[in-house]
Amino acid sequence: MRRWLPWIVLAVLVVGAIAYASWPRGGEESLSAHTLRIASELRCVDCESLSVADSATQSARATRADIRSRISHGESDSEIRQVYVDRYGETVLLKPSSEGLGALVWALPIAALVLGAGGIVIALRRWGRQPRLAASPEDEALVAQERARQ
Amino acid sequence: MKHPFRWVALAVGVGVCVLAIVLAVTVSTDPHSEQNVSRLVGKRAPAFSVVGLDGKAVTSRSLAGKTVVVNFWNSWCIPCRQEHDALVAWYADHHDDPSIVLLGIVREDTQRAVRDYVNQQGVTWPVAFDPGGKASLDFGTRGQPETYAIGPDGVVAASKYGPVTPNVLDQMVAYAQGTA
Repeated sequence: MRRWLPWIVLAVLVVGAIAYASWPRGGEESLSAHTLRIASELRCVDCESLSVADSATQSARATRADIRSRISHGESDSEIRQVYVDRYGETVLLKPSSEGLGALVWALPIAALVLGAGGIVIALRRWGRQPRLAASPEDEALVAQERARQ
Repeated sequence: MKHPFRWVALAVGVGVCVLAIVLAVTVSTDPHSEQNVSRLVGKRAPAFSVVGLDGKAVTSRSLAGKTVVVNFWNSWCIPCRQEHDALVAWYADHHDDPSIVLLGIVREDTQRAVRDYVNQQGVTWPVAFDPGGKASLDFGTRGQPETYAIGPDGVVAASKYGPVTPNVLDQMVAYAQGTA
């Protein structure tokens, strides 16, 4: 049990940190905040490297008004995103989709992390199993002989 | 597991190979293909209601049953100005065909600039303002000029990002009328 204690503590810390980071904060989101949150996930289609939330073009304003209207009509975030994906393609999303090919973007770092951690664990266990070097009687005799000479 | 290290190395190797294949397939397809053709092509055109220079509404319903060429443009965009002569030439050949309508919808411009441009350049086809940019948004425009050919059945048959030529417009109308 004592051997596993550090691992258990580490696991509790990791799970706790993830839970803390992903825990929703604040009260209910206002319509404006909700609109801006979705707008910040969509690329402004007629400007360079700006989200719909950050752009002042007419199309960005129209998009924000459309998002606001769709939220008011009860459409979910994913339904609203899908409207724009249908209209412009996946490239309109600033955050890659978690489905299809886009899932690779999320899955590969996790897979690399798991494989890397697995490799480290295996290496540590392997090194732990290797016999530690111990002085043989001949070695002890040699050391005693040298000490006696000094 | 006799050699766990080898399994991990094998898994990493397989992962790298999969990634390489995915990247190769992705790069071998045209990354800009999405930007060349509108996703509306083959789908019903969005319903629209825009406001003509005379203040009267022009709606998709009022144009139903006709071949409608919708051209999104504005007065300050250089490619729109470059396209102007092609539209003039094409409209001269088709303005007396009651089954075809060319409609210029203004995208991101002021009323005054548009009226000045229309007067100075002699734009004779219907031009309409798009309050709130709703029609531009519903068509999924990315800029201007953009042109859409809508068939009498209300389906978008062809689209063109960038300036059109009379030949391109003829081709788009042929698609819309099912004669291509």
